Amino acid sequence: MSIILENVTKVYQSGEVETKALKNVSITFNEGEIVAILGPSGSGKSTLLNVCSGLDVPTDGKIQIDDDTISDMNTKELTKFRRNHLGFIFQQHNLLQTLSVRENVEVGRAVGEDPFDTEEVIDQVGLTPNIDKYPYQISGGEAQRVSIARAVVKNPKILFCDEPTGALDEETAKAILTVLEDLNETYKTTICLITHNPNIAKMADRIVKLNSGEVIESKENKNKQKANTISWS
Amino acid sequence: MLFQNVLRTLKKKWLQLILLGLIMVMSSFIYTMMDYSINNLLEPTEAYFEEANQEDFAIGLADGLFETDFAVIQSECPTVLTNNPELYTVSALYDIDASCYEAVMNARVNEIESLYDDITLELREYKDVYFQYNDRSIRFRILKENNTINTTYVIDGELPENNNEITLTEIFAKKNNLNLGDTLTINGKSYEITAYTLFPDYSLTILSEALIIDNTSQTIGTVTDQEFAAINSTINFDIAGTTSLTDDEFTEEVIDTIYDQNLPYVTNATLTINNMRSGAIYSELAGGRAMNIMLSLMIASIGLIIVGIMVSKVLQAQRGPIGILKAMGYTNTEITVPYILFIAILALPTLVIGYFIGVYFAEPFKNIYLEFYLLPYQAIQQELKTIVVAIIAPYAFVLLVSFIIIRNMLKKDPVTLLNPVVGDQTNKLVTKIAVLLKPFNIKTKLKHLLLYRNMVKFLVFLIGIFFAAFTILFSFSMTGMMDRMIYNYYDTTHHESIGYCDYQSTCPVGSDDDKVIELPSVLIDDHDVTLIGLPETTDIHPLYNDSDKDITSKIEEGLVITTSMHLIEGIDIGDTVTVQVGNDTTSLDVVGITQEYGGSKAYYSRTQLSEFLTDDESYYNAVYSETELDDDNYLHVVKTNDILKQAEDMQAFFNMFITIMITISIVLGTIIIYILTLLTIEDNFYNISLFKVMGYNDKEIDKMILGGYLTYGVIIFLITIPIAIAAFQFMEQFFAEFYELLFPVSFSIWHAIVGLGIYLVIFFLGALNAKHHLKQVALQEAMKMYQV
Repeated sequence: MSIILENVTKVYQSGEVETKALKNVSITFNEGEIVAILGPSGSGKSTLLNVCSGLDVPTDGKIQIDDDTISDMNTKELTKFRRNHLGFIFQQHNLLQTLSVRENVEVGRAVGEDPFDTEEVIDQVGLTPNIDKYPYQISGGEAQRVSIARAVVKNPKILFCDEPTGALDEETAKAILTVLEDLNETYKTTICLITHNPNIAKMADRIVKLNSGEVIESKENKNKQKANTISWS
Repeated sequence: MLFQNVLRTLKKKWLQLILLGLIMVMSSFIYTMMDYSINNLLEPTEAYFEEANQEDFAIGLADGLFETDFAVIQSECPTVLTNNPELYTVSALYDIDASCYEAVMNARVNEIESLYDDITLELREYKDVYFQYNDRSIRFRILKENNTINTTYVIDGELPENNNEITLTEIFAKKNNLNLGDTLTINGKSYEITAYTLFPDYSLTILSEALIIDNTSQTIGTVTDQEFAAINSTINFDIAGTTSLTDDEFTEEVIDTIYDQNLPYVTNATLTINNMRSGAIYSELAGGRAMNIMLSLMIASIGLIIVGIMVSKVLQAQRGPIGILKAMGYTNTEITVPYILFIAILALPTLVIGYFIGVYFAEPFKNIYLEFYLLPYQAIQQELKTIVVAIIAPYAFVLLVSFIIIRNMLKKDPVTLLNPVVGDQTNKLVTKIAVLLKPFNIKTKLKHLLLYRNMVKFLVFLIGIFFAAFTILFSFSMTGMMDRMIYNYYDTTHHESIGYCDYQSTCPVGSDDDKVIELPSVLIDDHDVTLIGLPETTDIHPLYNDSDKDITSKIEEGLVITTSMHLIEGIDIGDTVTVQVGNDTTSLDVVGITQEYGGSKAYYSRTQLSEFLTDDESYYNAVYSETELDDDNYLHVVKTNDILKQAEDMQAFFNMFITIMITISIVLGTIIIYILTLLTIEDNFYNISLFKVMGYNDKEIDKMILGGYLTYGVIIFLITIPIAIAAFQFMEQFFAEFYELLFPVSFSIWHAIVGLGIYLVIFFLGALNAKHHLKQVALQEAMKMYQV
């Protein structure tokens, strides 16, 4: 699935203060690409992800995902669209403490139209030995892999990742990024990856740089590297 | 500064705080009201029973004359027998020759008294008179004054000295706008009311076997002995007894001794505490006290647990700011004080308000008791003990719980507090339940597991709903109780009035009227029963079994007994029983059970009963009529409509009680569900957001997060049904065995359906705000730091 943004603006109103989080952003993410979105704090990265994924609605402009104009959709339609096509991974894994690894993944599977097999996806993220463990019994990196499996199992066409490795050490982060890379290769899932870390962008097909709500650069990454070869320093 | 922060934090929870306050008010209010009303009845009542020398036991006497009685008559007044060869009742003997009657009764009392050294007995005699007052038929039980046991207790005024003076109960006077000095006309004779009196053998105005305790159309009083003798009505009697022995010894020995003697004229011997009319007040006040403590404790516990949960929630939400304050160098005490101070300021008014509402309502609540119980009373006096239990104890407990929670959190170092909790180890129950839920889909699993995650909250919910469901079902079971006891029975019969004949004169019988024999205190298998002889073809008083089949004709074959008799005495169809009337005994088969709850009665063919009594088919002593009988022609006439009116009044009281109970249940249930569902939304704030992001719609999330409450609420309701039924059966059995009174509470499927409907209303009302909050949870919350 491709994403096309045309003159997208997002304004937040807080009392009398008006903040333009996105200013006339026009950009295209192609199907099957890994897109890295870079920028300092307050540059509008999360807002861009929110409007692209239908978590938030733009103040102005048009967002199209394949043939669907999500910027025109109401809340119900957006919920249905997210349910059928999109997956999310956040910095915090937000796993349900009362559910095992398998069950946490099933929470994602339950809303998929054409979901993958739970155990297959858990195997894909390397957690088969931990399948019946509870979140408090696994490490932070493993918990983040569970959240990836939960996002992927419903077979989304696009995966939105907001700082998925932000809370992890380098080794664990690389392992997570490798999982995302494998998923992209295996299932041809479009991945939008928000990160502070410019080194992570090296694994992307496209790198988008934001500053003060504007796209200052969007280029194809001709020197794409494998995630496990990236060095943090 | 810190106080302002706490104030602003709690301000956002204003509605939860108000409802929580309401629970605290309810707890303090119920305790105060019940404690003061019961205490201010109990103290003067104990003094009254002591002063008036309340009986320790009562012995029921048969009206029939037995061999020993005839021996006394033969020796003391032989002409009575010569002139009245068909004489077989003591009451008839009283009408014929009062001194002969006295000799017989003295012989009976002396015989019983000689059985045991430590007992004192006194005959209690009374006559019931019926008259019209304010368009209402009044039943007035005139007691002959006793000298040693059950003496008359004067509330106000002077005992009668002249034959035109009478006393009555204050509640009857109040309800009929009568005052001391007023004149009351009874069957043509005018009496001046000289005093309001009480009698310790009548703490309830139970004048018949049915549970009619109405004080508007029934009263008791006394007149001079001379006037008592002159009153034209059947004499009734039993024996009042006291003993110096303790209850245990008494129960074991005296009652057993009396029964062991098989004295033919003794129909029963009952301890006061087992006697509804005199002793019910003991279990009522003890029960009232227990209920008071249980109700208040339960409501207070629910309130305190919710306070604990809320304080804990507020503090969890304030982890970060508290961590910063600690890092800045604030001491634990400086941080604790604003929270404790705020809770202290908030909790005190609720308890004080509850207390004063309780004080205000203690008087009317006490008056509800006095509507039925004939007791002395005193004005409500406030006591330190009640203030301590209603205000100080729960107040101290709330502060202590809050203090412990706060200090526990403050034990952690600033860095720990500044970092969010990423999830605790899940409790063992959750993992066990998860195994049980394996076959179910993930949405169903979540619905259950999210509830089990917080067991304290879940338990509050379960207890609260159980209480509400039980109260609702219990209240429903009392609907139509009086109908079952009285109304339905009279509805199937067609007599407008019953005329009772004077022994010494004949009764007129209309062509459409039924001649009937009514014999009270007949011994059937040693049980004190009213035996009624009916015409086999009666249309006025047909008998129906529980399948609504007319079984009147069966009385030709044997006895048809009432449901009351069947349940209380344990006699069933097919049993052969011994019927003893006076010296005559016969064996009869029980051939049917009529759906009547109005006391232990047995029906038999009138002609056969007449032959058994008099060797002649023509005897009768009562007339059942479809028309209104003339009072002048009978000893007294009972009008069916008056009995129905009494039943309606009693049912109206029960209905009021039912309404109050159901309202309390609904309010409490709604508050509990309101607070708990809202807390659940707060607990699952991030989960809800995450579900929304993942594409779950509001309905699905609602089912997963709040659906458990609905499911478990319904399960608890269904579990409550058999528990409630068992409680009803226990209650029925208790009343039957303890008081020999049938309390026909009834449970039908409709009670369950309507009760469930009420629970669903409670749930949807309570969860309304939580559902609204659920919809408002923003999708972006999922991206924020996760906190448990």
